Amino acid sequence: MALLAPYLPLPYPPHESDLAHVAEAPYSMGSTGLHWLGTDPQGRDVLSVLVFGARTAVLLTLPAAFLAALLGSLAGGAAGFWGNTRRLAVPYWLLALGGLWWGLRFPVPLVGAGVAALGVAAIVLALLRPRPIPTWPVPINAIVMGAATTLDSIPRLILVVAIAAGSGVSAPGLLALLTLTAWPHSARLVRAQMLRIRTLPFIEAAHAAGLSSCKIWLHHALPHAIQPLRTALPLSIAGLLGLESTLSFLGIGLPPDVASWGRLMSAIRNEPDAWWTLALPATCLIASILSLNALGRSRHKSL
Amino acid sequence: MVWPLLRRLFRTVLAVWALASSVFLLSRHDANTATLLFLPDSSESVATGNGNAADYAAAQRAVQHRLGLDLPLFYASQQPNAPANTAQWRWNGTQNQYHRWMVRLLHGDLGTSFRTAQPVTTRMCSALGFTLPLTGTAALLAVLTALALARRLAAKPWWQHPVRAALVAVHALPLFVLALLLLLTFANPAVVAWFPAYGLDQLAADSDNWSRTQTYLLHLVLPVAALTLAALPELTLQLDAALTQELRTDYATTARAKGLAEGAVIRHHALRNALLPTLTQVAELLPAMVAGAVVVEVVFALPGMGRLLADAAAGRDYPVLVGGVLLTGAARLLALLLADLLYFWADPRIRWQS
Repeated sequence: MALLAPYLPLPYPPHESDLAHVAEAPYSMGSTGLHWLGTDPQGRDVLSVLVFGARTAVLLTLPAAFLAALLGSLAGGAAGFWGNTRRLAVPYWLLALGGLWWGLRFPVPLVGAGVAALGVAAIVLALLRPRPIPTWPVPINAIVMGAATTLDSIPRLILVVAIAAGSGVSAPGLLALLTLTAWPHSARLVRAQMLRIRTLPFIEAAHAAGLSSCKIWLHHALPHAIQPLRTALPLSIAGLLGLESTLSFLGIGLPPDVASWGRLMSAIRNEPDAWWTLALPATCLIASILSLNALGRSRHKSL
Repeated sequence: MVWPLLRRLFRTVLAVWALASSVFLLSRHDANTATLLFLPDSSESVATGNGNAADYAAAQRAVQHRLGLDLPLFYASQQPNAPANTAQWRWNGTQNQYHRWMVRLLHGDLGTSFRTAQPVTTRMCSALGFTLPLTGTAALLAVLTALALARRLAAKPWWQHPVRAALVAVHALPLFVLALLLLLTFANPAVVAWFPAYGLDQLAADSDNWSRTQTYLLHLVLPVAALTLAALPELTLQLDAALTQELRTDYATTARAKGLAEGAVIRHHALRNALLPTLTQVAELLPAMVAGAVVVEVVFALPGMGRLLADAAAGRDYPVLVGGVLLTGAARLLALLLADLLYFWADPRIRWQS
């Protein structure tokens, strides 16, 4: 229904005000048709706002939850599988650092180019004449967990409010922000599971069979490690739904012309008698959150 | 005991510093908006054509200078239109906004608000005077109620199923819906108007000391109830699950075999063990209450910390926002300390090791 919203035969578009009929109760006649569920204090049709609000909510929270799950499982999976032990040969380090220096146009970019060229030369030499080359460790675990702890040290709402005000908000910006604040949870889950799976015999067998460790990680370990996300994903969507409606209730999230449930509910503070502007979107919101929670719990039982 | 705690505190300080810095740096990208908001009348006069555009630009520069926004943002900055093949980075030295902010922060000065030109510290202190009683009472009430409720739930009385279902349902409600429902039920002349909905700002008008206290308490009832109800389900369900697990262990069976009543088994044997996993959650309560205060204070129109933050976010008052982030970080630090103290009290193994 959320996807079909623009094609539904609704009598009123969601951001058009019917100023002659402000804050009318359900089943009142408007200027061009029936307001099935009434209008809000700005004269917008509640039914249309509900439908388009569902569209906003779904189009914002679903991608955010999936992106966060993807990012979290990749980061958490890498952190759990390799820990801090992954090592990278020094020439590659040189190549990366030099490229970065050159790419960011730091003073004397030729230094960066030179370092990168040195790295390439070392790689070519190593390919021509195989011999052990020194390696430096890449602390994947420390980086991922440090980032997760940093993002977790402040409640999500405060962080989102602070950044959303600063960087100016559009729908993609809010999506990125929600993803950024939601990934640490799934990363922790996947990392914990990966720490257990890493020690199982089939991983050892894959190592013994001579597969490269990247391949084992992607094809053998990761599909098992992301199992907890099957439970966590509906819960994460529910949490994001609540967060999104809270933001638009506070008037911080999306621009005012985007229809959303939270904004509709905030109308009741100006018009305490208009119960339908609170009851209907609240019912939608609570029903979706409850059903998502139930979905998560049933999956938890089936695991 | 001391070293791990110190290490964790240090890590949290680092994390809060990183977050506050990134919010600071991100926000200064559109500092121009802040100055525009500072000069609304001038922008109107330019738009209508009465004012002189040069005058307006000068006024804008003056405001930027006063707010310290004319300095470069960071130690190094990228020059936007430098010719190719030359260095695009310029070193700004210590004369930059970030350095000034850090130095002032270390002296305990959070800067001045863009909107009201008051020091942020003053505004936050007066706001905290409203918020601390609110969140403190709510946290205390939530913990005590959760303890009492979980203890009775674990004894499996006949009312356990409806109460559990209600807890799960309340848990699903976003806090602002909960607060709105409370507001529209108990402060609505159409239903029951037991409590006042708005107007704590005008408290000073009341002359009598006693009646002022009374009004204050009446105003606080609904917000405290909303915050408590929001925090209660998670705590209770967690503690309940832990208690149920502990009651299945061997030592609980032994206690029952000694002839102890179920209530005594729960109170003297299982409760302290079940508390351990819940203590972390109690510590989480303190920062969560700050976030909850944002919603509750907006709904009930209380002049507290949360409303200050929400207004600052809506009005792009960045110094106040950064101050709010720092304050929440401080709440997290306190919560960490509190959690470790609670563990110290609840778990004798930790006490004896150190």
